[in-house]
Amino acid sequence: MYRIRLHGRGGQGIKTASRILGTALFRSGFEVQDAPRYGAERRGAPIFAYVRADDKVICERGLIHQPNLVVVADETLFDLPAANVLEGLDGRAVLLINSERSAQDWCRQLQLPGQVTVLDGAAVVREAGRVPAGALCVGAAARLLGVVSRRALLQAVAEELAGHDAAAIQTSQQAVSQAYELFAGEAGLVQRLQSGAKKSVTTPPKWVELDCEALPRAAPTITMAATSALVKTGLWRTRRPRIDRALCSRCGLCRTLCPEGGIDLDGEGYPVIDYRYCKGCLLCAAQCPRRAIAVADERTVSPPQPKEGEP
Amino acid sequence: MTRILLTGNAAAAWGARLAAVDYVPAFPITPQTEIIETLAEWIDGGVLDSRLVTLESEHSMLTAAGAAAVTGVRVFSATSSQGLLYGMEMLYNLAGWRAPLVLVNVSRGLSAPITLEPDHNDVLAARDSGFLQLHCATCQEVLDNVLLAYRLAEDARVRLPVLVNLDGFYLSFTREPVAIPEPAAVADFLPPFSDCGLHFRGGQPSSQAVAVLGGGLYSYFRYQVHLAAEQAAAVYAEVAADFERRFGRSYPAVEAYRCKDAELVLVMIGSFATKAKAAIDGLCAAGQRVGLVRPRLLRPFPAAELRRLLGHRKGVAVIDQNLSPGRGGILHTELTAALYGLPQGGPLLVSFVGGLGGRDIAEEEFVQMVEVLRQAVQEGIAPPPRLLFTEEELQQVRRLQDIAHGRSEGKGEGEETS
Amino acid sequence: MSESGPSSHSHLAPGTPLCAGCGGLQALQQLYRVLGDKTVVVNAAGCMTLLSIYPFTPFAGSWLYTAMACAAAGAQGVRDALDIQLAKGRISSAEDLATVVLTGDGSAYGMGLSATSAALDRGLDFLYLCYDNEGYGNTGHQYSSATPRAAHTATSRVSGYAGSKKDLFAIWAAHRPSYVATAIAAEPQDLARKVKKAAALRGPRLLLVLAPCPTGWGFDPALTVKVGQLAVETGIWPLKEYVDGRAVHTKIPRQRTPLAEYLRLQGRFAHLFSPQPDEQRLAELQQAVEDYWQQVTE
Repeated sequence: MYRIRLHGRGGQGIKTASRILGTALFRSGFEVQDAPRYGAERRGAPIFAYVRADDKVICERGLIHQPNLVVVADETLFDLPAANVLEGLDGRAVLLINSERSAQDWCRQLQLPGQVTVLDGAAVVREAGRVPAGALCVGAAARLLGVVSRRALLQAVAEELAGHDAAAIQTSQQAVSQAYELFAGEAGLVQRLQSGAKKSVTTPPKWVELDCEALPRAAPTITMAATSALVKTGLWRTRRPRIDRALCSRCGLCRTLCPEGGIDLDGEGYPVIDYRYCKGCLLCAAQCPRRAIAVADERTVSPPQPKEGEP
Repeated sequence: MTRILLTGNAAAAWGARLAAVDYVPAFPITPQTEIIETLAEWIDGGVLDSRLVTLESEHSMLTAAGAAAVTGVRVFSATSSQGLLYGMEMLYNLAGWRAPLVLVNVSRGLSAPITLEPDHNDVLAARDSGFLQLHCATCQEVLDNVLLAYRLAEDARVRLPVLVNLDGFYLSFTREPVAIPEPAAVADFLPPFSDCGLHFRGGQPSSQAVAVLGGGLYSYFRYQVHLAAEQAAAVYAEVAADFERRFGRSYPAVEAYRCKDAELVLVMIGSFATKAKAAIDGLCAAGQRVGLVRPRLLRPFPAAELRRLLGHRKGVAVIDQNLSPGRGGILHTELTAALYGLPQGGPLLVSFVGGLGGRDIAEEEFVQMVEVLRQAVQEGIAPPPRLLFTEEELQQVRRLQDIAHGRSEGKGEGEETS
Repeated sequence: MSESGPSSHSHLAPGTPLCAGCGGLQALQQLYRVLGDKTVVVNAAGCMTLLSIYPFTPFAGSWLYTAMACAAAGAQGVRDALDIQLAKGRISSAEDLATVVLTGDGSAYGMGLSATSAALDRGLDFLYLCYDNEGYGNTGHQYSSATPRAAHTATSRVSGYAGSKKDLFAIWAAHRPSYVATAIAAEPQDLARKVKKAAALRGPRLLLVLAPCPTGWGFDPALTVKVGQLAVETGIWPLKEYVDGRAVHTKIPRQRTPLAEYLRLQGRFAHLFSPQPDEQRLAELQQAVEDYWQQVTE
């Protein structure tokens, strides 16, 4: 069985990507399962989808804990422990990263037992046109499996994008095809594992007896204030606004307009963006009357730094 | 203690009055309306220091009731039938909120076809919501159960909403002598409302009924409702014992009537159980060994008590005033589960469905059900479930169908009707 | 929470999972700055259900999630229970809370309208904030009765919504409550003024806030405010209030920006511009705006 997990962010077409791959495998004669995993997360938030393919009926369901291929459409996800990108990667698994950095670089950084390969999606996009990262990765992933023909793949793209205009479908097919070609040398890199190859002796679950507990703990109630501050939505951000104090007139408009409540004023009345929470919508930059807020790519700045005073 | 004639509805209102409820969200529906009318009159007249608000639906009524309970006041409400189902979404919610209110349901058959008279499908539809359920057979029990229900609901070990059920018409509009406890004695029995830390107050942040993601957390909270409901069985026994000590009336979770040496037992809930008692008295006088078992507490389900009372009988006839189409009687299903796998094998169970939509159950039918049960025990085989429905009733249906559609005899497709 | 700082009582804490650039959260944030934590927010099913996901809440005050149809009824129960406790001396006036209903348009214009209407009939002392993102946003933006004519939604993908946006302001005002206003977070001063005005009144007070939705309407989240400003400048979202029995416009766009400039920014109207402009429909939509303003300014 192939067990494939695709990671990305909301808005990168991860669900569509999993469906393209699912359809391509199905068209290639496999029994298939594909599904996105929804949470409360929105655009920019880490999400994932998964695909299983086998030559017989698939009885497994739900999350894939031991993948043989993990696709990471957004390299910034490695900085987010919550994204759980590396879960269950063992020596037999292949990790495909959408990145301009080299595979050797990533190997050094991640220190993984399995194989790492890299798709320079940005380069493909420069040549073929704007296509969601998820779809690009699927082109590469299909080739890594070695069991999906180009024709089946492109047909799957057309099927899954039905309803989009013809030009968009054609652009996607070109880009997906290009990604597919780039991995000709690594065709079949992903090992197909026997579906019954899981260990025959399982560890018994540690079931517990639940006690009837007292209120308010036994009710879905929160008696603390503002606990959402523990959720660092800054992890969703792919671009960050930066305030230039030299240009800022301290009008406070950005603070008023920030939907997150993520901008406060310092002692001198200058706005300070709390990057722990800023989701990177960038409406502050769009609205700043003095154009004092610039936008930088998140990958070119260091990972989110804790605000001063944070424990 | 005074004893006066009260309808079941008035008895329910008296229960709320004696419990000194703070808040009564209301919505009219037959046959419950008299309860809220009575309370409205008392509140208007200054007899009861409470607030009654009529909402625009039972869904809203239950929402307001639950919201008030988790804000910190004692809440009473009442509904029936379609109303209970219209508010069904909120029944589950209120249990999940752990809102300790009392809701009286006056049972009435469910539409379609729409009808006014009682059966138990409405209240049994609420069976899995997390509301506890107390079922009444007399008007006295209605009043007393409301008081018991508040003690149970507000007990820190339980803290769940409680539904008190009485049958439409047979109790709701029927007057019987009811002893009204002294308010001071009730105040002693029922301590002031305690919010168990669930409330809304300035300066005390509280987010209630918060969403969860993930099955583990959902399982935990939903199972806590179950554990609290199970724990309510012991609390009920304690509360009922305290009630008996103070007021002299005994309300075990399961009533056992003439069961001491009974070989055959009828099982049913609600007011028709007293009709069964009358029939049993006659049978016992003729030398038969027949008894009645009536669960008052249906949630939590008194399975252990039912096993104790029924496990060693020869035969048990379950009379369901409800119908789960495609399955049959709901109590029969529940009782079968409770009595399955007993070491001694357990009694033979026979299922009867009767009293749907207020259809009476005549004394000779009780006698006949016992007879069917006796034969089944002799033969060792339970007959198929039986609907209590007579030839005469079918003839009546036919007569009405003939009016509705024209006479059926000799009339084929396309023929003129006269 | 120590890390949310001293001002945490007057704004919603960050960390909620709502979409980046949410015009509804933006409005709620501005409202909370005025009302603060002496509130209990009673919520109906919608995008904002996700504000509080156990164990995380952005509220320094209180919150009760009800169901889609009945937030106004929940507010009734909370308000009554607080009043009863105040009257019976069980809580002090310092422990009292303002009751705020929070729903999206799906609830406000549809399933929750009956409960709201009845709360208005009863003169319930509460403030209602509807974040109107013109569709069932939380389920993927299917059309609701707040959806504007011609908009693409998940259930009107081919030629756009065939109905027209319902006039909820007029429906609410017909109940003659203490206060009704339309607003938008892109006009923060107007919004804050209206919230303050509403907060100072008693009885039913309702705010209908257009909530530009990057996800459902199809625009870059950086444009949330721009889209909102254009809604006002084109005249398609009139800013007005109903008070003392009269509806008054609080901002009259006399030099109205052509509606197409508002529509063009949004993916849900892309079919009106591409492959070629649908001049007839654009003219119809523009005419509806003209008719409105002609009627109200005459």
